[in-house]
Amino acid sequence: MASEDELNLLVIVVDVNPIWWGQQGQREPQFTLSKCLDAVMVMGNAHMAMTRTNKLAVIASHCQDSHFLYPSKSWKSGDSGGDEASSSRDGKYELLSVANNLIAEEIRSIMAKTEVTGNSTDTLLAGSLAKALCYIHRFSKELEVGQEMKSRILVIKAADDCALQYMNFMNVIFAAQKQNILIDACVLDSDSGLLQQACDITGGLYLKIPQKVALAQYLLWVFLPDSEQRSQLVLPPPAHVDYRAACFCHRNLIEIGYVCSVCLSIFCNFSPICTTCETAFKIQLPQMVKPKKKKLKQAA
Amino acid sequence: MASLSEEVLLVVKKVRQRKQDGTLYLMAERIAWGPEGKDRFTVSHLYSDIRCQKISPDGKAKIQLQLVLHTGESTTFHFANESTALKDRDAAKELLQQLLPKFKKKANKELEEKNRMLQEDPVLFQLYKDLVVSQVISAEEFWANRLGGVNNAEPAPYNNKQEVGISGAFLADIRPQTDGCNGLRYNLTADIIESIFRTYPAVKQKYSENVPHNLTEKEFWTRFFQSHYFHRDRINTGSQDIFSECAKQDEKGLKSLVTQGVKNPLVDLLSLEDKTLDEGYGISKTLPSTSNAIKSVKESSNSAIIKRFNHHSAMVLAAGSRKGDVPNDQASETSSTDGNSRDSDLFQPPLKKVKLQEAIEYEDLQRENAPKTVALNLKKSDRYAHGPIPLQSQQYTTSQDIINSVNCIRQEMANYKPSLTRVLSSTTATSAVAALSPGGVLMQPVGQQSINQMVPTDIQGELKHLYIAAGELLRHFWSCFPVNTPFLEEKVTKMKTNLERFQMTKLRPFQEKIQRQYLSTNLTGHLEDMFQTAYGKFHIWQTRRMMRKT
Repeated sequence: MASEDELNLLVIVVDVNPIWWGQQGQREPQFTLSKCLDAVMVMGNAHMAMTRTNKLAVIASHCQDSHFLYPSKSWKSGDSGGDEASSSRDGKYELLSVANNLIAEEIRSIMAKTEVTGNSTDTLLAGSLAKALCYIHRFSKELEVGQEMKSRILVIKAADDCALQYMNFMNVIFAAQKQNILIDACVLDSDSGLLQQACDITGGLYLKIPQKVALAQYLLWVFLPDSEQRSQLVLPPPAHVDYRAACFCHRNLIEIGYVCSVCLSIFCNFSPICTTCETAFKIQLPQMVKPKKKKLKQAA
Repeated sequence: MASLSEEVLLVVKKVRQRKQDGTLYLMAERIAWGPEGKDRFTVSHLYSDIRCQKISPDGKAKIQLQLVLHTGESTTFHFANESTALKDRDAAKELLQQLLPKFKKKANKELEEKNRMLQEDPVLFQLYKDLVVSQVISAEEFWANRLGGVNNAEPAPYNNKQEVGISGAFLADIRPQTDGCNGLRYNLTADIIESIFRTYPAVKQKYSENVPHNLTEKEFWTRFFQSHYFHRDRINTGSQDIFSECAKQDEKGLKSLVTQGVKNPLVDLLSLEDKTLDEGYGISKTLPSTSNAIKSVKESSNSAIIKRFNHHSAMVLAAGSRKGDVPNDQASETSSTDGNSRDSDLFQPPLKKVKLQEAIEYEDLQRENAPKTVALNLKKSDRYAHGPIPLQSQQYTTSQDIINSVNCIRQEMANYKPSLTRVLSSTTATSAVAALSPGGVLMQPVGQQSINQMVPTDIQGELKHLYIAAGELLRHFWSCFPVNTPFLEEKVTKMKTNLERFQMTKLRPFQEKIQRQYLSTNLTGHLEDMFQTAYGKFHIWQTRRMMRKT
């Protein structure tokens, strides 16, 4: 039967970069990956408990790959294996307990399989976002007739930005914008320019939290309400995003520059040949006017 | 005074005006009359001023021509040459008839165009009000750059109206009503008249020849409807009827259409004749006619009606496609009405091929001829990977660090069990809530409030108008440089005074107004800058000019 309520899908992308979290565990033992995941679970439970038609998905963004923590494929295949998972011991709403157990199981297996090589120490955030978008898209195709869906992505970011993912990131951002999918960002450590742009472009909220320990509180206060409800609440104002581009030659932020019309690379100074695509350009200099020889009038 | 460059189209001697003898001159743009013996004109009217001309009826002794102007006054010329008066008068009248329509449209067109432009574009209208009505610049300067298209003969860019076709039933739509007594009332509207003229150019010609000299319009149409030309019988009466010529022309046209045939080689009209298999299986060609006379009359009237229908349809089609038609369109199937019989045999083979190809091929299924693109050839494509992002200091982690961290996290997560009851302590929660409440750490408004939230909308609107008006004036000013001609010199000085005047009359009151409203933002700084730059440039130019002169 087609439900008349609007479906609300929340996809949480958690940055589980093992290097950063390992170091974090040594720096601040009171806030480790376990605590972070607990907070994420609380958030997910709260979201699912708000309305029956709310849906949840959790993706772990690792250095090697992105992995769906919930819903997982093994859950759907046969209930016999899921008996343990589905029995809730404290009378909790079954859906929530199943979700929690699954998430815990999955993250344990991911971390156990972690092997990190030296060169890939960056979180594959762009890939995780792309997976989230694909999941949302697939979900929207499986809707019943007459059901509408609203979706948003919440990114919990720990490690630093990876500049090499810029292109993919921007593609993901614009795809999300086209699909009217909000991207919210909760940043634990250092500000991320890419995520700021993502939130600004898609209309989501960007927040860098001062206290990592109170992550759950921030998540519930700021990121739990969906976009309609947010207009009724007093939430942190949007940050000013620095959209200045950096020139390709020096990687300095510039306000006015030169753009090659062939390859669109940005330079701070004019050069007759574009260094990226080797196109030759001519710029018209103002005409040099030869000074005319004036006939001096003879003094009478 | 006649300027030497005016082209004199016609000179008529011995024309009296107000009881004075003189000569009438018709020139390219005006008509003028000068008294005998003097070489200056006492009467001169531009064609665009003349509303219409009138002539004295044929029977009168005095042969006169009267010009009625738009203002209402009229001038009468009396052609007094004994022998050639009538001819002169008619010659003058013909020429005027051709020239007047040309000028009539021009005068009104400009005003119409201006009004139309002002009505369509409210921004332009506002600019006009700001600048011209308040006398900052004159109307001519305002319209100088904008009316480029009006003075050309082509009104094409503005008249994109579609041409209305002719209804095939326009003659039938006239629907005569009985008048009570034996007469019939025909209701003619302008549309019907236009349709008749477009379909039957012969009738149009007759109309222009006869009206308004010989017949009034009403008489013309009465005659038209009375004539057998209109009625279906079309039995040619005597040559009294002015339309008998038309009938003969139509016959000729029809015959030529038939001989021309259809240009499409795949269509064979001749095979559509009634064919009989045998007696009783269709129409037999040879029927023993009992009374030949009656039969022939009936047959001839039938064939006459059919001929008329065919001709009428052909004329309607031709009139509809006449204006947009390419004259040498080989593939068109509409036949021309001027009776040109082209030798269609010459064109047959390639035409057939074209038609067959059209039937076989589908445009959609052809290979797409996409425009050829040039591949992007990058030498340093790794620049695209990081994009326009500034260089950020990366934290350096030693491999030992990495290994340690990974081990650490693995250990931790191996025994991970969610303990959701101990996620948050109340102190941390309250401090987070405090930070998120209004006035908290995270709730500081970042950056300034944008200006458009602080300034009321009507002030914004006024500022916008000021900018548009100032922009227009500055455009005029800056377009004068480099100052080459004396005209530009004048214009530059005039524009500078205009700018100063604008600043006095419009900008200062606005500034005072926003000061009164305690708006501390500097809204007019940029405008002032622009004006100062213009004044500076003018000053430099003036000093240079002074130096050159000394």
